Amino acid sequence: MNFTRRLFLKHTVAAGAGFFSIFKKKAHAQDHQPVTNELQVGCLVDTTLCIGCRQCEKACNLNNEMPKPEVPFTDKSVFREMRRPTENALTVVNEYVGNPSQDQPQRANTYTKVQCMHCLDPSCVSACIVGALTRTKDGAVVYNPVICLGCRYCMVACPFQIPAYEYEDALTPLVQKCEFCADFSQGTGADPSCAKACPTEAILFGKRTELLELARERISKRPDRYIDRIYGENEVGGTAWLYLAGRSLEEIDLLELPGDAPPRLTEKIQHTIFRFGAIPLAIYGALGAVMWHVNRKQDSEQDMEGDQNE
Amino acid sequence: MNSHGTERIRKPLFTPGTYILLTLMGIGFSFGLTRMFAGLSAVTNLDNFFPWGIWIAVDVACGVALAAGGFTTAAFVEIFGKHKFKPLLRPAILTAWLGYAMVAIGLMFDLGRFWNIWRPLFNWQGNSGLFEVAMCVMAYLTVLTIEMSPSFLEGFKERIDQNKAGSKLLQHLEKPLLVIHRAVKVVLPIFILAGVVLSFMHQSSLGTIILIAPTKIHSLWFTPLLPLLFLMSAVMVGFPMVFIESLVASKVFGRISEMHLLEKMAKLVPWFIGLYGLVKFGDLVVRFNSIDFIGNPVYTITFVIEILAGVVLPFFLFTRSWVRRSRSLLFFSSLLVIFGLVLNRINVYLVAYDPPFATSKYFPSIGEIFFTVGMVATIMFLYRIVVTFFPVVQRCTCGECAARYKREEEQRKNALSTPWIRIIQGLALAMLLVFVLFYTFVHKQALAGTSSAFNWANKVTPVKNAPVELSPSPHLFRPEGYANLYMLDNEILNTATDFYEPVRFTHRTHDVVTDGNCGVCHHRFSMSEEDRIGENVKEFHMDFDVRIANAPCGSCHDMEDIYVQKCSTCHWLPGEPDDRNRLGLKGAYHQQCIGCHEGQPNAQRAPVDCLSCHHPYTPDHDALVQLSQDPDIQEVTSSCLSCHDSVGQDILHSAHWTWQGHSPSIRGHEHDVSLGRKTVFNNCSLAMGSDNVTCAQCHIGFGWNDEGFDFTDPQKIDCLVCHDTTQTYRKGKGGLPLESIDLVQVAASVGRPSRSNCGLCHFNSGGGANFKHGDLEPILADAPDDFDVHMGRYNLRCQDCHTTYQHHIAGESLASPAVEGRVQCVQCHGSAPHGISGMLSRHLDDHTRSVGCETCHIPFIAKETPTRVSVDFSRAGQDLAPEYDELGNSTYDKKIGSQKWAKNLIPEYLWYDGTREAHMIGDKIDPSDIVDLNRPLGERIDPSARIYPFKAHTAVQPFDTEQSTLVVLRFEESFWDHYDWNQAISEGMSRIGLEYSGSYDFVETRMYISIHHEVAPTRETLGCADCHSQSAVTCRRCHGQEMGEELPAHAYRIYPDAQKRMDFQKLGYQGDPALVGGRLYINPKR
Repeated sequence: MNFTRRLFLKHTVAAGAGFFSIFKKKAHAQDHQPVTNELQVGCLVDTTLCIGCRQCEKACNLNNEMPKPEVPFTDKSVFREMRRPTENALTVVNEYVGNPSQDQPQRANTYTKVQCMHCLDPSCVSACIVGALTRTKDGAVVYNPVICLGCRYCMVACPFQIPAYEYEDALTPLVQKCEFCADFSQGTGADPSCAKACPTEAILFGKRTELLELARERISKRPDRYIDRIYGENEVGGTAWLYLAGRSLEEIDLLELPGDAPPRLTEKIQHTIFRFGAIPLAIYGALGAVMWHVNRKQDSEQDMEGDQNE
Repeated sequence: MNSHGTERIRKPLFTPGTYILLTLMGIGFSFGLTRMFAGLSAVTNLDNFFPWGIWIAVDVACGVALAAGGFTTAAFVEIFGKHKFKPLLRPAILTAWLGYAMVAIGLMFDLGRFWNIWRPLFNWQGNSGLFEVAMCVMAYLTVLTIEMSPSFLEGFKERIDQNKAGSKLLQHLEKPLLVIHRAVKVVLPIFILAGVVLSFMHQSSLGTIILIAPTKIHSLWFTPLLPLLFLMSAVMVGFPMVFIESLVASKVFGRISEMHLLEKMAKLVPWFIGLYGLVKFGDLVVRFNSIDFIGNPVYTITFVIEILAGVVLPFFLFTRSWVRRSRSLLFFSSLLVIFGLVLNRINVYLVAYDPPFATSKYFPSIGEIFFTVGMVATIMFLYRIVVTFFPVVQRCTCGECAARYKREEEQRKNALSTPWIRIIQGLALAMLLVFVLFYTFVHKQALAGTSSAFNWANKVTPVKNAPVELSPSPHLFRPEGYANLYMLDNEILNTATDFYEPVRFTHRTHDVVTDGNCGVCHHRFSMSEEDRIGENVKEFHMDFDVRIANAPCGSCHDMEDIYVQKCSTCHWLPGEPDDRNRLGLKGAYHQQCIGCHEGQPNAQRAPVDCLSCHHPYTPDHDALVQLSQDPDIQEVTSSCLSCHDSVGQDILHSAHWTWQGHSPSIRGHEHDVSLGRKTVFNNCSLAMGSDNVTCAQCHIGFGWNDEGFDFTDPQKIDCLVCHDTTQTYRKGKGGLPLESIDLVQVAASVGRPSRSNCGLCHFNSGGGANFKHGDLEPILADAPDDFDVHMGRYNLRCQDCHTTYQHHIAGESLASPAVEGRVQCVQCHGSAPHGISGMLSRHLDDHTRSVGCETCHIPFIAKETPTRVSVDFSRAGQDLAPEYDELGNSTYDKKIGSQKWAKNLIPEYLWYDGTREAHMIGDKIDPSDIVDLNRPLGERIDPSARIYPFKAHTAVQPFDTEQSTLVVLRFEESFWDHYDWNQAISEGMSRIGLEYSGSYDFVETRMYISIHHEVAPTRETLGCADCHSQSAVTCRRCHGQEMGEELPAHAYRIYPDAQKRMDFQKLGYQGDPALVGGRLYINPKR
């Protein structure tokens, strides 16, 4: 036969190189850096001011058109158990025994609001298989239900254990998490509904850089009230939501987390392996070369055998 | 390349084995079907903490890893040229192909929105390890299909050749089948290479994806080397999977064992295992210090099992040649490797996954397990089908068969001429090129800033709730006077809290709490409109050496003249750019209020719950109340109770329902709980009990016609009488609503009770408008500003002072014993309320120790509607013409007798310490004197007593001369029919179960009614000289000659034309206390 295996293998290797070179570009394109630009919005939650009125939960419920809960928002019996955000409540307030700070001895309980922290370098965004979770230019982590597969990898990825899932829905379940009221605030600069509703202004909405300054100012002005730490400043690469506390963070369920964003590790691995398509191409090339070499040897042996036979 | 050739299994498809597989599949897919109809929650144990279960860890992660036999064998045979192992290749590829197909099918059940599974093709997300996996799996599944296609094509060809079922149809395709077969053959190398590389990529990426959660994965398994370990373990398990598959197949199908091949391949396995073990061990050593080895014994045990049973033991077994030669031992060792790998994947994905806040650990449900078993059974069954219908296993080597296969081979070889082969190869390359270009094009879209390749995949985000433009309020100073009460009603506050009525801030009370230190709240002031930061009040005073905390502001400032600016001058929106630390108005109010309230010792006086200050608006009941076309009142009540069940129970215990209750202020009955209207006398309508039908018009129930009324039945509650907001609801006989009332409309517009609701009974008590009280006139329902400052100027509802708790309403009437809480002026105004009245303030506050607030602040009652001051029942029944006074009030009525009325009545003043007497039915009287029915107690020497205003109401009413007791009589259906006193009395007495001697006479009785309403504005309150003699009101007597004689306006008489109101002699003073000295202190210079 005139067609030679050798020639074809050459084509094969070339085609494979072309195929895998796409990974190079892809890796380059998606390799984003954590953004802390001046557009980044945020919220500052001052746990020493929160009174556990649950108005933020109510405002969130109404604004996001969630189903009405069985227990009304004025009922404080919900504090008996620790709650986490669910598919029907994107934010919840938890109660902890003990005064929020040492200079508030009259207050018996501390309250902490829980919602999506809107990381600057979000694990869920890095994890999402189709990019259904994205960061807006303001830094809100938003969800696009149209393209979501429902793989729930974002829930695995989230270090704060925030995204919730509509397991009851058979065909069109959604991942539910706080979207910073981005639908409402995008481009308008409006506060998220919880911040707007908070009666004590324990939730303050603004530019993250300014909020950080504000938080530092509060800490330096009232060292007896606040512990010297802004939760969310550095946790997992920084979060848009910042917390001020007057007592140990662990006691009020603010997780101790590393300063490195988890996506830095996974994306580094991904982009190291697939940068310039080098490693897949090298494997492809090496295997192709072995295949070519081995088969040429066997071909020539066969040819020789064939010649002899003829 | 198919130099060895393959053939079909020629055994019946349906055996007991396949029936078992079918059963397992049936069970598994029935669970899968349930998931499709009822959702994941119905079948799985997944929750928000554990989003991935065994459907991912086993079906996907293990499934992919166990399919590694495909690419390892392909590489071994085709790339490294070990062609003599070719018989093992097709079964291995088939196993991998089925494995991957099942991964895809299994994912259709696990993915919530499985119909979107094609999305990764268009929505690229290169950062996601899972995306890498998805793309590679899709590509590799295609590659495997191409690698498998010769089998299928050969199978169809054989069908045609042997004239089997369907061959007629297939005959037309004979030529294309041959062509395609040839075409696949000539492009196969490109795909075999791609398959291996793709496998490397996604096998490792399966390890990468779990690295996204470093804080959730236990340190025993979490290592950056996880991708490498996953890849190596997949390679390690590839050959053992082929061994298992081959050994089982040869056993089940009864074919020649391929041990001679397996034995040789098995020699390589220890290298793979050893390499994997080495890397794993090295990783442990490097990370030794950061690993928590014994923190959780479960982790330690599973880890040790995974290493010992899955790596170490099989490593040693595979190194032994006697193991490799033995079928059973090879089988066992291979199983160990597979077990180790499965355990590893389960460990990494499930066991080591330890999410924060989770209260329980995930364990697969029955449904999850059976579905997984069903998937495995499906793979096995499909394998069985494919090998039965298509040539997969090594072919027969007999001469006849060999000749046939050789013939077929030739036939295929000639299917395509060389130019055609070139063209096909070119097309394959072009296809790849187009794919690459397409990929690049799609990717450029992603580069543009979105991960979605196509615009139609992006959602449109609507902008809702555009923010309301709010500008700071003008720099408004207080327009007039120092107000007692502020409405905290502001557009800032109302943007988010429009569910609530504006807060009524009782300014004066808070003034008292802060000891007159206004600076507690008004902490800054500014002098210009532009200055929204101002100056600190405290620091400003320090400049003058004044510590504002030491004395009330009023001690220096005349509060009538000082201006205080609005809170909203500075506080507006939170975080405004000019001073980000300045609180917004809402935050300022709440932080100030709550911060202070929380520090107060009396939680009732300083509540911290939201609803104590904010009253929610009543929702529109139009849609909530479902009534029939023409409902009766009973149906309305049932409808109310269907939602407000507990309220019904509250009502049953309230005094408005029982008309009896605690009587803590009745001397001698302090601990009674059963005194009520039915047990005491009043002289307006005599006593309750004899005329229920009339009396029940004012009961908050209906149907109280006789003694049989069930006071424990909430269905008899008349909700509408208090909660009607249409002001059309009226009650008739027996408490039933009048026929003309549109109950549907009334029920649809229920709300908080207004003054007219309460007034329906309380403005009309005693038989008509203002008959009894004197200070409760119908005009109060819509009072002019100065008629009553509370109800007029501040538009307070009754319940703002008469605070309610579970429908128990605070307040006390001298005419009725039951008390459910006290209402006192000091609750809002504090105990030193005159702090801002300049020079007079101290003298006025001194007065509060001896004089009730009402005494000065309610100069007159019955200002609009005359009130009845006396009635003579003894004249009733005479056939006289009705008489009227100049105001149009009836002075003689045959039914009642003669009556006297007064307008602008000056009250009577008595000492009152909060307790009183009560004349019970059956109490003895002294007929020689006027009988006091409810005399207020207290006297001058009693420090807790103060002088209060009262309205006295006298009556001449019948009594039993024999027993010396007051009697009740029946008016309705008795006296008014025949005007026979004896008969009416005996009927009345018998109805309440008392004896009547038969002889009666008349005695004069007196009843006092306390005065609390119709509080006049400040300038209309009594002046000093209205009670004291003008000569006694002077400053010099105490302050000496340095004081001038210029007295404040209120030192003179405010009502010079009115009669002198205070009779100090009668109150127990020797003379005017301004001259002779008060009871609690002695005037030093009297």
